[in-house]
Amino acid sequence: MTDGAMWLDGNAIGGLLQELFGTDLTRAPRTCQSCGTVHPIGAHRLYRGAGLVLRCPACGDLALRIVALPDGHVLHLEGSWRIEILAPNR
Amino acid sequence: MDRARIVWQFATVRELVEETAHAKTVRLDLPDWPGHAAGQHVDVRLTAEDGYQTERSYSIASAPEQAGLALTVERIDDGEVSPYLVDELRSGDELELRGPIGGHFIWRIADGGPLLLVAGGSGLVPLMSMLRHRSAQGSAVDTRLLLSARSLIDVLYRDELAMLGRGDGLAVHQTLTRDRPAGWPGFARRVDAEMLVSVGPTPAHRPRIFICGPTAFVEQAADLLVEIGHDPAAIRAERFGPTGG
Repeated sequence: MTDGAMWLDGNAIGGLLQELFGTDLTRAPRTCQSCGTVHPIGAHRLYRGAGLVLRCPACGDLALRIVALPDGHVLHLEGSWRIEILAPNR
Repeated sequence: MDRARIVWQFATVRELVEETAHAKTVRLDLPDWPGHAAGQHVDVRLTAEDGYQTERSYSIASAPEQAGLALTVERIDDGEVSPYLVDELRSGDELELRGPIGGHFIWRIADGGPLLLVAGGSGLVPLMSMLRHRSAQGSAVDTRLLLSARSLIDVLYRDELAMLGRGDGLAVHQTLTRDRPAGWPGFARRVDAEMLVSVGPTPAHRPRIFICGPTAFVEQAADLLVEIGHDPAAIRAERFGPTGG
């Protein structure tokens, strides 16, 4: 299929998010600051360019920008994220 | 949620299996693998001699019950990673990967059904892990698979699908969009609303729906499913775009 659509799912950066947060975020629900809908991060739209941009699947507003630097990453988060992080040694 | 540190590790290639002219299954042995759920993926990292690194995500094809880990990789001709995996990788080689990744696009027996799985091309891979998991658990949960491929020679796991399709509760539907053998009994067009109604289950049965394929295929299938009355919240999707490879 010829594919003009250039975006993927939040699932595609599940590995990177798990590396940065120490827990799976693809199930984490996020409430959009713009349209108020709640979707898991794995169901958001991922755009790859110079950095990574995650957008609300309902309205397209920004959810996350990630810029890779030589020595790490810079993250800008938008909206309300619910992230469960269990204590170590559990 | 599991507290899961995610670390890169080296797997050893145990076996390569040619699935189609463009796709191979890579069977791997891992020294330290925590187990996975059907639908999860791994990140594979290649490092060039000059230190340049590149990563791609690949869905896990094997069931959690199977020993080792199997990935099925389709060659994207101008890709950076898949041509190496499909053409160059040999049994005994090491491959760097991390995982398992993802808790959204997964299905476990305990989640129940009915299930509707919709695959475009090699989007079948994570759905095959679900079917293998279902079969390994001896489950007869009502499951409908709709697989869209260009032609029969592009269909992954053809013999295994035929075998699984003879078991209880699983209906395998295929549509071939480009070439059909003479007397082809399946569908012969792109996925449309009428086809999805015919495959079922009806929205009233509230199936769990998993769609995997190229982005445009997934968009189209998801829109059609909502159009015929399925709950958008019951639809989980995994897209692979033109930037893959």
